[in-house]
Amino acid sequence: MPLLKCEHVSKRFGGMVAVDDVSFEIMTGELMAIVGPNGAGKTTMFNLINGVFLPDEGHIWFAGVDVTRFPSYKRAHLGMGRTFQIPRPFASATVQENIAIGAMFGAAGGELNVEEAMEVADQYIDLIGLKAHRNKPAGGLTPIEKKLVEIARALAMKPRLLLMDEAMAGMNPKDIDQMVTFIRHIRDVEGIAVVALVEHIMRAVAGLAERVLVMHQGAKLVDEPTREALNDPRVIEVYLGRQAEEFNAKS
Amino acid sequence: MRGTGKYLPIVPVLAAYALLLLYGVATPGKWQLVAQLAFYCALGQAFNLFMGMTGYVDFGYVAFLGVGTYGMAVTISSLSDGGLGLGIILIGFLVAAVFSTLLAMAVGAVALRLRGAYFAIATIGVNEGFRYLIEGARIWNGADGIIFSRHLKTALGRKMAMSVSTFWADIFVFGVAVLAAVLTLYYLRNKVGYALLALREDEDAAKVMGIDVTRFKIIAFITSAALAGLLGASGWALKLTYVYPPDVFEIHYTVEAIIIVLLGGAGTLMGPIAGGLIYGVSKYFLAITLPGFQLLIFAPIIIAIIVIFPEGLVGILKGKVHGTRLEKYVI
Repeated sequence: MPLLKCEHVSKRFGGMVAVDDVSFEIMTGELMAIVGPNGAGKTTMFNLINGVFLPDEGHIWFAGVDVTRFPSYKRAHLGMGRTFQIPRPFASATVQENIAIGAMFGAAGGELNVEEAMEVADQYIDLIGLKAHRNKPAGGLTPIEKKLVEIARALAMKPRLLLMDEAMAGMNPKDIDQMVTFIRHIRDVEGIAVVALVEHIMRAVAGLAERVLVMHQGAKLVDEPTREALNDPRVIEVYLGRQAEEFNAKS
Repeated sequence: MRGTGKYLPIVPVLAAYALLLLYGVATPGKWQLVAQLAFYCALGQAFNLFMGMTGYVDFGYVAFLGVGTYGMAVTISSLSDGGLGLGIILIGFLVAAVFSTLLAMAVGAVALRLRGAYFAIATIGVNEGFRYLIEGARIWNGADGIIFSRHLKTALGRKMAMSVSTFWADIFVFGVAVLAAVLTLYYLRNKVGYALLALREDEDAAKVMGIDVTRFKIIAFITSAALAGLLGASGWALKLTYVYPPDVFEIHYTVEAIIIVLLGGAGTLMGPIAGGLIYGVSKYFLAITLPGFQLLIFAPIIIAIIVIFPEGLVGILKGKVHGTRLEKYVI
């Protein structure tokens, strides 16, 4: 049984079709990237999976439950964690409190009291290597540190599926490689599925994902293993245009 | 933060209230000032439970005090012949809490669906609307109000009625203040407080973290409203033994509550107490030294303080004691 199943999902804003009849599945433990140029509908797709928006058409199943109409907090309880494109830690709360909030209210939240959640938070602080910032307000961290806090906060929710929105945007190649290694490590240790949104950093996609779903103008263009997807002429056309493709063919 | 020490910040709060009470009892002629200060502290704390913890500003807040005042007034004026003795006051408090809770549920069901500024706008009319409803529909005697000093004497006897309105009403205000402090600290130290912190900072991110934001907003809203009802029942109804709609649905008190909370530090335990004391004392002395001009002078002072110390006094204090032994007492 797939962990997440989207079936003919569509979302319109006024006359604009942001997500157009997209279907795909993801299995437990898979690393998948959703790729596409700016405006392709990736973030809207994420918001539909996550429950920030509800779809106009189609169905979404998660962990065997039809979550199509679920608010996002109920999806979180079923085991869906998420990070944002621009990190959104709770600025006045400390790093430890931020991560503990994930532990308190996420999929594992029911059984944890505040003190236990703080202990869980400490484990993830070690994982992301921010021990020195444990008691500092998250608002004062650097962008990359905020990103790490957000990932730790999402992981402390004990998700079965982690949705990462542009986890590597704005990073230099060295940081990207580190982040790729870190995400693969998380997948192996926690045994969870990860879906990452990536706009154009192919270095990240190639290193990270086992499977790539390419979106173009709201619709699914290809859904293939990474190597095939990145060499697919339709994908190259979307990113580089027809001219370049023809140029490639000639040379 | 861990285990037994997590409720320690209640110690300075109780100490502050005990000192204030002692000062009032021991100093002739200062009881009214002390009672007023206790009222401001309680008002700030009750208001802080919703406004400070969630970041939502409820401009209709005074309506909860208003219906609480009516709860006590209606109880005493209709049950005074029942031979209930002091039990009538207990029933009055229960009715006050029920009235304000019901109003909170009605207002919250509509307004809590709105965000930020829209919520504030939606609540502005609540107290005025309720006032005109009472006056226009002649509910609870309409614009004539309820005068129940005679009923209080019937129920408790002349001497006891006197001591209730001149002394015990103020003690009950202290009681409401302590209750509000205990609830605030309990919320801050438990999951409710973290849920409220998260939704105050970023409501969408809070939802994604698994927080049912509506549920926690309602919890805070009703707690805050019920405390306001008790405060109206003690500090207004029992103290004055009458209630008139224009007196208790006066937006001025909501504005005072906002000032107190911002002055002391929103979302903190001690902030509203510090804010209430400072606001009350300055208002008292400005009224003596510059009668009639106190509001004119107070406005720029408040603007200055809020611009210079946006986190309030306790916000600054928290920064100062960070990493010291005093840290576990300050929140």
